Amino acid sequence: MSTRRKVLIVEDSGATRELLRAAVESLIEVEVHTAVSGFDALKVLPRHRFELIITDINMPDINGLELINFVKKNPHYKDTPLFVVTTEGREQDRDRGLQLGADEYVVKPFVPEQLCELVRRYLKL
Amino acid sequence: MSQFAELLDRFFYRPDEAVGSFLEQAPISDRIAEALPDETPEEFLAFVLEGETYAVPIGAVREILKVTDVTEIPRARKNIIGLINVRGEMLPLFDVKVRLRLAEVPPVVLTGKDVGRAARILLLKDLEGDAGVLVDRVEGVVKLQLSRLEEAPGLGIDRNAIAGLGHRDGQLFILLDVEQALS
Amino acid sequence: MVAPRALSEFIAEANEILEALGRELLALEESGLEQADPDRLNAVFRAAHSLKGLSAMFGLESISRLAHHAEDLLDALRLGKAPLDQALLDLLGQVVDMLQEMLGEASRGEDSTELKERSEMLAGELQQLASGGGQDTADVLDQVGIDPQVRAVFTEYEEHRLRENVKKGVGLWKVRAVFSLEDFDTRLATLNASLKPLGEVISTLPSSQPGDDSSIAFDLIFGSSKEKAELEGRLLEGATLAPLTDKMFSTPPPPPPQRKKAPLWDDKSISGPALSPLASFTSTPSGLSRLATTPEPSLRSLTNTVRVDIGRLDGLMNSIGELLLIRSNIEKLSDAARQASGPALPKLWGQELQREVRALERRLDELQKGVLDVRMVPLGQVFDKLARLMRRLVRESSKDVVFDVSGGDVELDKLIVEELSDPLMHLLRNALDHGVERPEARTRQGKPPRATIGLVAKQQGNHVIIEVRDDGAGIDEARVREVAVDRGLVTREQTEEMERRELLNLVFQPGFSTRRDVSELSGRGVGLDVVKTNLQRLSGLIDISSRRGEGTTFTLTLPLTLAIIRALMVKVSGRTYAIPLNAVLEIVAVKDEQLRTIEKREVIEVRGQTTPFIRLARVFGLPEEKRPVHSVVLVGLAQQRLGLAVDELLGQQDIVTKPLSGRLRGIPGVSGATELGDRRAVLVLDIGALMEELLRTQVAAS
Repeated sequence: MSTRRKVLIVEDSGATRELLRAAVESLIEVEVHTAVSGFDALKVLPRHRFELIITDINMPDINGLELINFVKKNPHYKDTPLFVVTTEGREQDRDRGLQLGADEYVVKPFVPEQLCELVRRYLKL
Repeated sequence: MSQFAELLDRFFYRPDEAVGSFLEQAPISDRIAEALPDETPEEFLAFVLEGETYAVPIGAVREILKVTDVTEIPRARKNIIGLINVRGEMLPLFDVKVRLRLAEVPPVVLTGKDVGRAARILLLKDLEGDAGVLVDRVEGVVKLQLSRLEEAPGLGIDRNAIAGLGHRDGQLFILLDVEQALS
Repeated sequence: MVAPRALSEFIAEANEILEALGRELLALEESGLEQADPDRLNAVFRAAHSLKGLSAMFGLESISRLAHHAEDLLDALRLGKAPLDQALLDLLGQVVDMLQEMLGEASRGEDSTELKERSEMLAGELQQLASGGGQDTADVLDQVGIDPQVRAVFTEYEEHRLRENVKKGVGLWKVRAVFSLEDFDTRLATLNASLKPLGEVISTLPSSQPGDDSSIAFDLIFGSSKEKAELEGRLLEGATLAPLTDKMFSTPPPPPPQRKKAPLWDDKSISGPALSPLASFTSTPSGLSRLATTPEPSLRSLTNTVRVDIGRLDGLMNSIGELLLIRSNIEKLSDAARQASGPALPKLWGQELQREVRALERRLDELQKGVLDVRMVPLGQVFDKLARLMRRLVRESSKDVVFDVSGGDVELDKLIVEELSDPLMHLLRNALDHGVERPEARTRQGKPPRATIGLVAKQQGNHVIIEVRDDGAGIDEARVREVAVDRGLVTREQTEEMERRELLNLVFQPGFSTRRDVSELSGRGVGLDVVKTNLQRLSGLIDISSRRGEGTTFTLTLPLTLAIIRALMVKVSGRTYAIPLNAVLEIVAVKDEQLRTIEKREVIEVRGQTTPFIRLARVFGLPEEKRPVHSVVLVGLAQQRLGLAVDELLGQQDIVTKPLSGRLRGIPGVSGATELGDRRAVLVLDIGALMEELLRTQVAAS
């Protein structure tokens, strides 16, 4: 069993997912898992104890807001910190995300170092 | 049984020498005499063509291969000895001796038996696609200081194919300009 | 900073997005602009949105900017703030083409100002259209009384769809379904598929109140004009229906009379309750079973497709090649062991080995087929793009043309498919520009004013045939002859001996062009010779047939894959060569005394046809042996024939052809190399190029 801290990245764009992964994985204490959609996230969530979730908003099937709402109201997951990744200029999505209980938001295009700093802070690394 | 033995010989992978093993030995460079403190010498792979010692930057060498089967290519350029199969990759094998005026005609090589036991193929990395160069013998790795390289004198040799001259321990190393030598 | 893995991923993904975007736009156009499918509009918007974000992250500012403007316009479209019309679709089509060009530049590391300027202009046009949209009035959603908690999770788009449903006056429902964690995705997809024909699924919300740890609940926000009873009758097991708001529930008409729903219940009770839950899908009323089993493509495609870099497949193919070699080496070892004189033990081993070799062979076959299958992609990938471009070109031209495409589902090696788009585009532009006539001219000749240009693909054995045909004026061979003689491609005497077909094939000669005025449409000075060379690189053939006044057809014949071909192995002066079997017509033995010469050129007669006889050894400058009987490989492409004399025929073999690297490209008559059992590289002959060369220069016999 790995003792590394598990982070879930939910992002439907493969290239963006790889960028997010590359950024977060630069922290050696972190083990990154990924989901390609809100749906996929629902399947992955119960399988691990994630200590942080990073999710995109605009996704097919279940969108990021719906995922946040689910996570933040579910007794199993509600204390897991959650970051929203939003695209520049979609303030409404960002605001709703924060209202629903997202802990931080990251604006695309993001700066890897800043993202890492946030992850470090929330995981107390 | 000799046919059987030959098959076995063919079947079992005979590892070609990795460039790295030369680096570890680096026989010539061990005797560093007068390195300037502020300049790290560059590493070159030294090899012999018709008794003269040539060198190319170690970074340009992908691997060193023993000479096995070579396929002639009809109507190819004169300096192409043929085609070699490097683990499934089809790469050209070049002769540079004619270009360097060390020989009149390129050698005909069809199998490893057509060359000396010490002959090797230097597989060079190249933008236009990697290419092999047939050499008589591989000498080893030599460290040369870039600032001390000389320009080649115009002694009837084709200066375009030569990037410069280097010295170490009284030995002369002719630096090959790979791009030019293969053109 | 950008990880290289992500970078190549970016190019691939951006390409995929653009392809999807083009496809969706085409579908929008075909389905009619009045009732554009909201899902489709949203898909187009999402594509532009993703591309914007993606390219911004990779620092491709200009792509991101153009995608951004497109996104704004599409956002207005899907939110109903701008009307969808043909002009707008055309503009979007141009945007897709432009983005593709820009991506092409980006992948080559270029950055031209010309492209940038054109992109700025397009962006300006987009901006103008987007800002012209109308305003929304008071928000109807406020009046409906939806739980603000529910509303909070809606994206702007979902709110818009909700609004549209309210405006239409349909009922809004909350469908709650509880599924097992094991299979909730497929079950939800089925539920979605069954709801879709009844109304619109506006949003899918995972519920925060699960029954237990092994299941998950969903709320589907659903708009439908159907009555509650009918909806309930069609719900899957485990799903319940409730009105979304109290207000909505208070206004709908009184419950429908019992009589009306009776048949539904009857239906259900006939096949019903005794069946196990698994079978409940088939027990739904007859009209619905079809709908329920209709797969939901959007969901499945997410999980069922894998993008693989073609380089990795080549790598796999190489490993298979290696494995094949090892196999044949083990086989030789086992043969040698079995035949060895001496102790019996090696013989037994030999037999054992032989058995293992057979097993290995079967597995290798499977693996090889598997990898080849993965390389295959439908031609539709290219056809869709061409269709979009053709529609635009037709609109810009003064001609009335139907563009007829079929066979997009035929599959070919990905490498071939990608290389095909340029030659096909050229032929199509040619057909539009030079082939078909203007409506007036057609009417004068008694043809229907509307012309047809067709693009048809079909598979024939190991080949794919693609035809580009038009019902235009056909090619004037007198004019072809005149031009060819004018340009010094042939002499007048030569043309007099030529058949019509040969004359037509002159259009593929370099430097041939029947029209001086290079038009806006087909121009840029690229001739059919380039098309032919491109096809030859793909081991393909092109042939032309044309009838005056009736039209012209270009027929392209392509191998299914370039990776593995069947070849005839021959020996010439001790050297082995591979001749692709698709070019071999037959093998004949010719006695030395049967050779004839015409103007010092050697010829043979095969089935009454005089055929040039070429000694391969002589062509390649290899020593020739004198022999009484020649083995002749009769090769042919299109209408041409050539007899190649070789020393020995070694038989047929499947070979994995490998391209020759940079410095070896352009060696005449050689298309690649392959390896046989002994690791020696064997050259694969390029019959098309050899024929062209030999028939043109006609090696003189001396």
